Amino acid sequence: RGRLRRLLWILLTLSAVGLILWQCAELLMNYYSASVSVTVQFQKLPFPAVTICNINPYKYSSMKEYLSELDKETKKALETFYGFSEGKSKVRRSVDEWNSTGSDLFEQIPLLKVEDFFRTATDLHTGQKRKIEGSVFHKDSSIVNSGDSNDIIGFQLCDTNNSSQCALYTFSSGVNAIQEWYKLHYMNIMAQIPLETKEKLSYSADDLLLTCFFDGLSCDKRHFTRFHHPLHGNCYTFNSGENGTVLSTSTGGSEYGLQVVLYIDEADYNPFLVTSTGAKIIVHDQNEYPFIEDIGTEIETAAATSIGMHFTRSRKLSKPYSDCTETGDDIPVENLYNKSYSLQICLHSCFQKAMVDSCGCAQYAQPLPAGAEYCNYKKNPNWMYCYYRLHEKFVKEQLGCQQICKDACSFKEWALTTSIAQWPSTVSEDWMLRVLSWDKGQKLNKKLNKTDLANLMVFYKDLNERFISENPANTLVILLSNFGGQLGLWMSCSVVCVIEIVEVFFIDSLSIVMRRQDVERHGHDNPVCIDEDLPTFNTALRLPLPQDSPLPRTPPPNYSTLRHAFTEQLPDTLELGQH
Amino acid sequence: MNLKKYLVRALHRLQKGPGYTYKELLVWYCDNTNTHGPKRIIKEGPKKKLIWFFLTLLFASLVFWQWGILINTYLSYNVTSSLSIGFKTMKFPAVTVCNANPFKYSEVKHLLKELDRLIEAALERILQPTPGNSSENVFPPLDLQLWNQIPLVLIDEHDKDNPVILDIFETNQTAVGNETTAGNETIAGNDTAGANATLEEKKYKLAVKLCSHQGSDNCTYRNFTSAAQAVTEWYILQSTSILSKVPLHERIRMGYQAEDMILACLYGAEPCNYKNFTQIYHPDHGNCYIFNWGMDEEALNSSNPGAEFGLKLILDISQQDYIPYLSSAAGARLMLHQQKSFPFLKDQGIYAMAGTETSIGVLVDELERMGYPYSDCTMNGSDVPVKNLYSQYNTSYSIQACLRSCFQIHMAEICGCGHYMFPLPEGVNYCNNEDNPGWAYCYSSLRSSIKQRQICIDSCKETCNDTQYKMTISMADWPSEASEDWIFHILSYERDMSTNVTLDRNGIIKLNIYFQEYNYRTISESAATTIVWLLSSLGGQFGFWMGGSVLCLIEFGEIIIDSLWITIINVIGWCKGLRQRRARARYPDVPPTVSELVEAHTNLGFQHEAGGALPGDEALPPEPGTPPPNYDSLRVQPLDVLSPDSDAD
Repeated sequence: RGRLRRLLWILLTLSAVGLILWQCAELLMNYYSASVSVTVQFQKLPFPAVTICNINPYKYSSMKEYLSELDKETKKALETFYGFSEGKSKVRRSVDEWNSTGSDLFEQIPLLKVEDFFRTATDLHTGQKRKIEGSVFHKDSSIVNSGDSNDIIGFQLCDTNNSSQCALYTFSSGVNAIQEWYKLHYMNIMAQIPLETKEKLSYSADDLLLTCFFDGLSCDKRHFTRFHHPLHGNCYTFNSGENGTVLSTSTGGSEYGLQVVLYIDEADYNPFLVTSTGAKIIVHDQNEYPFIEDIGTEIETAAATSIGMHFTRSRKLSKPYSDCTETGDDIPVENLYNKSYSLQICLHSCFQKAMVDSCGCAQYAQPLPAGAEYCNYKKNPNWMYCYYRLHEKFVKEQLGCQQICKDACSFKEWALTTSIAQWPSTVSEDWMLRVLSWDKGQKLNKKLNKTDLANLMVFYKDLNERFISENPANTLVILLSNFGGQLGLWMSCSVVCVIEIVEVFFIDSLSIVMRRQDVERHGHDNPVCIDEDLPTFNTALRLPLPQDSPLPRTPPPNYSTLRHAFTEQLPDTLELGQH
Repeated sequence: MNLKKYLVRALHRLQKGPGYTYKELLVWYCDNTNTHGPKRIIKEGPKKKLIWFFLTLLFASLVFWQWGILINTYLSYNVTSSLSIGFKTMKFPAVTVCNANPFKYSEVKHLLKELDRLIEAALERILQPTPGNSSENVFPPLDLQLWNQIPLVLIDEHDKDNPVILDIFETNQTAVGNETTAGNETIAGNDTAGANATLEEKKYKLAVKLCSHQGSDNCTYRNFTSAAQAVTEWYILQSTSILSKVPLHERIRMGYQAEDMILACLYGAEPCNYKNFTQIYHPDHGNCYIFNWGMDEEALNSSNPGAEFGLKLILDISQQDYIPYLSSAAGARLMLHQQKSFPFLKDQGIYAMAGTETSIGVLVDELERMGYPYSDCTMNGSDVPVKNLYSQYNTSYSIQACLRSCFQIHMAEICGCGHYMFPLPEGVNYCNNEDNPGWAYCYSSLRSSIKQRQICIDSCKETCNDTQYKMTISMADWPSEASEDWIFHILSYERDMSTNVTLDRNGIIKLNIYFQEYNYRTISESAATTIVWLLSSLGGQFGFWMGGSVLCLIEFGEIIIDSLWITIINVIGWCKGLRQRRARARYPDVPPTVSELVEAHTNLGFQHEAGGALPGDEALPPEPGTPPPNYDSLRVQPLDVLSPDSDAD
C-alpha cells in the first residue's frame, strides 16, 4: 500500500539489517575479551623457597692466590690517580711483593685518565700519554653530560683483530670506573676456575647459618640446598623442594615462619668487588630461578629484619586473549636455566645465545649453553669488546630479545613487607653473642661481633591466598544468545529465518538466473529445461509466482482431491473442518 | 458452577472418544505455532520436509543443550570484579603501638629473679661443657624446683647412634635408648643425610625436656640446633608460667605506661597526646596503645595525602629496661588495622627501629566480596561454629581471632587450662606450673599437632570484607647528630620536668604514618550472572535458533496437554471397546457380522452427540464409511498434494 509507506518500510528494514550487522560485528570483535576475577582463599599455604646469599661471593682470604695481581694493580691505580695510599685505609695489606710483573692482561686494558677532550689519555701502567682513536662511550655521562670533561677516568676496549676498532668507556666517578674495571678482570679470572673449586672457595652452610627455626621447630643445614650463583657465590635455598617435599605452614605470624641467624664475616670481604655488607635474600617459587642480582632484598647486619609475606597467584589467559606463554615451549629461545620459564630467564638465555653466536664464548654471569665455554682472556682475547658492544645492543633492544620473549601466563608473587628492629638489644647482647659463639663451634674462642650477625624472619602475614585470574568474558553460548537477542530485537528473526533468506535469495535466484540463461540460449519454448529445474521445489513455487494469488481460491480438479482425501487426507480435512 | 460445567463436558468427551488424532494435532501445531521451524515441515515438498524436520529437530536440541549450559553457568554463581583506585577521604586506620618488650625489667625483676639466676648458671655450665672445671664457680643455692619442672638438657652426640643426655645441674647421665618415648622434634628432615657431610659436626645440642607429669616417663625432648633458640624458648615457657599467676591490673602496672612511652603526638595539624590512645593489654607485648580505635568516639578522617596530614609520633622504648632473655630484638612494634578490630601484632605487625625516623605511606587495599552462595565467606562471623573469645574486647570477627579462639578452646579441653597468650573461655584459668604441671608438654604437643591446625582452618571462615593496609616503609637516622642534644633535652624535660636527660638513641623512635597519593584500591565483586542475564540469554538462544519466545513454550505446553488428553480418551475408548467385545462374546449364538464390527470400529469418532468441543460434528449425520464433505478438504489442500497432481496431469 502507498508508495511512501512502502519506501519507509524498506528503509526501516534495511536499517534494521544494518543495525543487526553492526551489533553482531561489535559482539564478534569483543568476543576475545577477558574478565578478571579475584578470589581469596584461606588455607594451608605452601611455604616459598627462600634463597639466602652473602653479599660477598667468596672468602677474600682464600681468593688471594687468584686475585693478588688484580688487587695490586687496583691499588696502584688508586695511588696513581687519586693519591690514595694503603696505609690510611682499612684495606688489608696484601702480602704479595711488588716484583711480580703484571700480566699482559692489564697492559692491554689499562685504566686511563682521559684529558684534553678525549684526545689523549694517561696510561696507568706506563704513565705514557697516548692518542685515542675510535669511538668513545660514556658509561655514566650518557644520561647527564657533565660539563667539564677534562678529568675523566675510564678504560679502553679494542678489537684485537682490527685495532682501529676501539671503544673508550668513561665514567664520571672513579668509584664506578674502578669497580667496573675490577669486575671485568674479576670475571675473567673467575671464568678460568672450575665450579668445584669455586664452591669450596665460597661459604659453606655451616659458615653462613648459625641458627634456624621453622614453624616453631628447629631446622638445620639439611633443610637448605646449595645453589651456586656466579656473582654471589654459594647461596642456600631453604625449602627448595629438591627432595620432593615442599613445606607448608598452617599458621601465620612471625613465630611460625622461617627464622635464621646469619653469620656475615665482614672481615673476609673483598674490598673492591662489593662495597656493602649484609646478606641478600629472595623469596621465590620452588620452580623459579632466583635472580638474586636483580630482585634480591638486602639484609642489614646487627638488626632483625622481619619480612611479612602476602601471597598472590595470578593467571592470564593465553592466546588469543593475550600474548603470553604457558610453558615457554613456543618461544624460539632455549631455556638455559634448569627451571620453569620466566621472562627474565628468556632474556638472559637469549643474550647468552647471542653472545655465543657472535663472540664465540659465554658470559660468566649466565649458565652455559651446550658446547660453549665461559669467556676468558686467554682463549678469547676479543671477548670484552664484543661483550660490551653486544650488551649495548641488548639494552637498546637491537638484539630482538625483548620482542621474542613473552610474559609467562601464570605467576606467583609474594608481596613483602620489610621492617627492621635493632638486634640484639643492648641488654641481651651479652648473653646472645656468647651463646651464638658456642653455637658456632666450641673451638672458636673469640666472641662474635654483632655486626657479623643478621637475624632474618620470613613469615606469612596471613594465610589468605589471593588468586587473580582472567576468565573469558564471552563463551560461544553467550555470543549466540546475544546474536539471537539482536536478531529478535530488530527483525524478530532467527537462524531459520536466515536459512530461508539464503534459500530464497541465493539458491532460488541462482536457479532463476540459470534458467533465464537457458531460456536465452535455447529459445523460449523449451519445456524440458523447465522440467529439469523442478526437482528443487521452491523454484516451482517461485516460478508461478505472478499467477500465484488467484490460485488458492480456485479449486483444483475435484477428482484428484477426492482420490487423495479418501486415501490419506481424510483426518486432515476433518480436523481442519472442525476448526 | 463453571467447574461443574467443565467437568460434565470432560465426562461427555471421555465417553465419546477423541475429537481428533495426534497427527491432526501436530499438523495444527506446526501450522499455527510462532516458532520458525515447524511451519516449514508441513508446507514444503517431501524432500524438503525431511530436511526441515531434521533442521528443526537439530535446532531444538541445540537450544536445549545451550539452555543447559546457561543454567549451569548461572548456578555456578560466578562473580565479576571491578577495581577502583584513587584518593578519597577515608577513615584513618587505627594505629597500635607497643614495645617489643612486654614489661619493664625493673618492675618484674622480683618475679623473675630466680629464673634469671637459673639461666645464668645453666649458661655458665653449657658454655664450658667439660665437667670438672665448672665446679669451682660458687653460686648461691639455686631453686631447683623451678628448674625441674621444665629442665633444659644437653644432648651429647659424639656417638651418633647412641646420644647421651646430660642434665645440666645433675651428674647422672641417661642414654636416649633407655627412654621410653624420646621424640625428636626437628621438622621433617632425614637425619641420616647430614651424618657424613662434615667432620666438624656439632657435638652438643640443647633440648627442652617436657614431661606430662613431673617424674613420669612420658617425656619429649624438644631438640634445638641452636642454643640461643633453646634458651629463649625455655625462658618464655617458664616466664609465661610465672606471669600467668600475676593478676591483670598488676601486669598492666608492670608494663610501659602511656605517658612514658608516647612522648609526642601530632595528627595533621592538631596536637594530640597519650590520652588520645586507648590502652589495651596484649599478652605478647604488654601494654599497647591504640590511636583512633573508634571504640568510644567517631573514627578520624584524613582528607589529604602526604606526611603533613598524617600521624606523627615520638616514642621511647627505653631499651635499658628490657628483659634480657625474653626478647632479643629491640624496637617498637606497630600495626595498622581497621577500627574495632583486635591487633594481631605477631602476624601483621612491623618493627620500627630505635634511633630512626620511620615513614609509612599507607594504601588501603580493600576486597569487598559477596557472601553466600557466591563465595564461602562470613559477613560478621555469626555463622562460624567457633566462639569468638576476642569479643570480650568488643572487637569484630576476624580470621586470626577465630583461629586463636579455636586453639584456646582446644587447649582448655585437652590440657584443662588456657594459654597465657590468648583470652580465656568461661570457667577456665591460665596454665601455670603449680596447678597444671604437665601443661607445657600438653601445649607443646598441641601446638605442633597438624591435625588440630587443620580442624581450626576448616572451621574458620574468612571475612567477606578484607582490608589490608599496604605500607611503603622508609627509614632515616633520627635525630641527626646536630639536633640530638636539644631534642633529647626537651623530650626528657617534658616527660618528668627535670633537666636530666633520660633519653638516648637506643630508645627513641619517630614515626610518620600517612596516606599515599592514591590511598585506596578497592576490588569489589558483583554477580556475573543475574536472573535477568539468564532470561535474556535463554531468550537469545531460543530466538537465535528458532525465533521462539515464552509464548511458544506455552503453545508447546498446550499441545502436550492436548495430546495427553487424546491419550486418555483413546485409552478409555479402547477399554470400552474391549468390554463391548466381551459383552458380545457372551452371546455366541448370534455372531456379529463383519459390517457390524466395522461399524462399531469406525463409528467411534462420529457418533451423533452434542459435544462441547466438537461443534462441527453436530451437523454431520452418522454415516460410517462415507467420505467427509469435499469442500472441507479443498479449502486447506496442502501444496504438496497439489503439485503431484498437476504433475500427473
